[in-house]
Amino acid sequence: MKINEFRDETLGEVVYTAKHSSGLEIRLMPKENYDSVFALFSVNYGSIDTHVQQKNGSFKAIPEGTAHFLEHKLFESEELDAFELFQRTGAYANAFTSFDRTAYLFKGSERTEESLGYLLDFVQKPYFTAETVQKEQGIIGQEIRMYKDLPDWEVFFNLLSILYPKHPVSIDIAGTQESIAKIDDKLLYKLYETFYNPSNMCITLVGKMDKDAVFKQIDKSIIRKKQPVPERKFDPKTPKSKQKYIEERLAVGRKQFCLGIREEIDKPELSLEDEYASGILLDILFGKDSDFFRKIVDEGLTTMEFSGSLFNGYGYSAYLISGPSEDPEKLADLIKKEIAKAQKTGVSKEEFERAKRKYYGYAVRGYDDINGMANTLTALYYSGYKPFDDINAIKKITLARVNKRLKSINVKDAALSVILPAE
Amino acid sequence: MLKTVDIAPGVRLVCVKTDKYKTFDINVSMALPLDENASANALLVKLLRRSCKAYPDLTAMNRRLSELYGASVGASVSKMGDAQILTISGDCLDDKFALDGESIISDFISLICEMIFNPNIKSNSFGTDNLAGEKRLLVQDVLEELDDKRTYAFNKCIEHMCENEPYGKMSTGTIEEIESTKMNAVYAAWKNLISTARIQITAVGNVTPKKIETAFKAKFKKIDRQPCEIETIFLKKPQRFARHEERITANQGKLVIGYRTGMENKFDGLYPEVVMINIFGGGTYSKLFTNIREKMSLAYYCSAMLIVNKGIAVVQSGIDTDKEKAVSAGVINQLNEIRNGKFDDELIASAKKSIREGLTFNSSDAICRYYTNQMLNENIEKPEDFIKGIDSVTKEQICEAAKKMVLDKIFMLSADSGEEAAQ
Repeated sequence: MKINEFRDETLGEVVYTAKHSSGLEIRLMPKENYDSVFALFSVNYGSIDTHVQQKNGSFKAIPEGTAHFLEHKLFESEELDAFELFQRTGAYANAFTSFDRTAYLFKGSERTEESLGYLLDFVQKPYFTAETVQKEQGIIGQEIRMYKDLPDWEVFFNLLSILYPKHPVSIDIAGTQESIAKIDDKLLYKLYETFYNPSNMCITLVGKMDKDAVFKQIDKSIIRKKQPVPERKFDPKTPKSKQKYIEERLAVGRKQFCLGIREEIDKPELSLEDEYASGILLDILFGKDSDFFRKIVDEGLTTMEFSGSLFNGYGYSAYLISGPSEDPEKLADLIKKEIAKAQKTGVSKEEFERAKRKYYGYAVRGYDDINGMANTLTALYYSGYKPFDDINAIKKITLARVNKRLKSINVKDAALSVILPAE
Repeated sequence: MLKTVDIAPGVRLVCVKTDKYKTFDINVSMALPLDENASANALLVKLLRRSCKAYPDLTAMNRRLSELYGASVGASVSKMGDAQILTISGDCLDDKFALDGESIISDFISLICEMIFNPNIKSNSFGTDNLAGEKRLLVQDVLEELDDKRTYAFNKCIEHMCENEPYGKMSTGTIEEIESTKMNAVYAAWKNLISTARIQITAVGNVTPKKIETAFKAKFKKIDRQPCEIETIFLKKPQRFARHEERITANQGKLVIGYRTGMENKFDGLYPEVVMINIFGGGTYSKLFTNIREKMSLAYYCSAMLIVNKGIAVVQSGIDTDKEKAVSAGVINQLNEIRNGKFDDELIASAKKSIREGLTFNSSDAICRYYTNQMLNENIEKPEDFIKGIDSVTKEQICEAAKKMVLDKIFMLSADSGEEAAQ
């Protein structure tokens, strides 16, 4: 295995990467003096993968929620579940599924070799039966129901349902009660074989480690697979909805809103620089130090929870502005006007410099966090980037790029989702 | 390197100097008795965060933080036993990464001092608009908590358990108390805070303790300090058992079971107590997780926690409402098994390992929180000493600790599903 070394002198950090002969990407960031290591074994398969490419190139639909279902099931082996294995080493173990990824992780301070062995082993050895899959339907059903009570979750997914009515990103990551009822052990084994292929996976460790030992251990533990990995489905013309407003009543005391403006994209993913430029832009327009934020807080229209973010991934990108508000429609209107106003003048150099400095500070400090860095290094890999490309992209962002991103926002496409207190 | 310095009567600096991290963390935690002044105190700490003489409004303050590479400062209100804790906490980028060679940390410490000691006061007033604004935001914070059903149910159980103790009070006071707070009460609260609160300044990062000591000493020199005494009531047995219920429209019910641990003070049998609660419901290996969730599939989550500073233990669970009886019976049964020694050494080992893992810190923030939590203790205990205490716990001690647990209150937040309600 050829090992590449990436160094960033300012940060004082080194990352080693290697491509295993099976196609698996390995990324290690040893941190001296740290007490623990964080390991993340991931597969490029998430809730948006609701269509599987066939040998002839066409796509076949599968039920929603399979990636998440498999995540739950892989935690069980024939003898023990994964939690029980990690009890032996005292490591904290968990797993999660996002829109575009499934990941298994542990964080531990001792017996790393043993913990890593368990992680490599249970992810590569699925074991479930018709009965255990059926039992899991109950547990996942509870999970879906629980999220339906969370106003933050609902306001977000309701918005997605009108921003992306035909795109799987608008479906709950765990699927629906109906879709999980269609999932059985045979389907899960088939999907496991399709997606859990080393060339579709990445393992990242950050923190206390003996990197040579880790490389060696991974090298001898990976099960190679012959068949190619299917391409992900990308539809640049995924339909829009005419609906621009959606509301739901929940047992809450406060109104909440999420305003979304979808971005039309011709490539599946934004460049890092565009992504960060949008983050800086949102901070300038709607950050806690903006004139706009002071105005809406002084007018009693929102609280400190008000925030803007870019929500983007494979095949989707949208500006989201959300928070609690007594008058969501009025606030949404003000936000749209603020963007339109800024589009005429552009953001100033002073605002840009201040926000960029802040962004740089956040990014540098992010390198302290072993969990966060394992996720960052993994995300960079799946989007085709090298270690430290994140910090380098931030350094390269110009005022012109931020203003270009600003101009490209199509305010007329804005859609509003609101949660209202139950009557 | 850990250093503890007394700065003024009732004011202690706890500083960990380390160059491991790219972040500097500081918490200034101020304790007062939790009483009828709770709302005035809570509003005060928010006003201190909002502005100061040098940065006289929220925007000016937040722009200053942005200039300091996105330093962040939060003002929070919480409870520690029967004390109300007001905290100004913040973090910033380490000086090494400053682009123009400035000392970010020095500037940041000065800013924190300005917030606390030079607030934006004119003729004993924080400004009517500022107070009105913070009242609205604090009420919104309280409403936010009410919207989170898990927290809501937890708080309700505590409220019923401690209705005759200060701990039963909300840390911010009630919405009515917040809204009726007068300016002169807030001003008096500030005078009272700087002269009587028991204060711990906890700092972690690449800074000498001397630097922080000098900055704060200069401020405290001018104040006549009369630190308050705060006693916490430890009830060995509840006054009477009761079950309380509320109904809401939601998908999932929340069951909360509150116990008195029998501890007479926060050090009374502490280590066995910590291990016992961990075995009961601390992790995925615990009795509650493996039985109630995994074996019986009765709950999506079911865990137990210990409130050391009050001698209370609480079991929390998310369930289908019609399963309440089965779940409470299951929980009681699991506790009885611990009382009767029905658990193996492996489980004890898992719990101890997990506690140990929880005490390995991988961020400046985690270290800062660990020491901040000891602010009301006379002696600071290092994690390695705490671990020694945990390691010495025997099976008999665990059984004994479980036997002392007395059921106090059950709170059930019953969910009527939206669909049923509509029919």
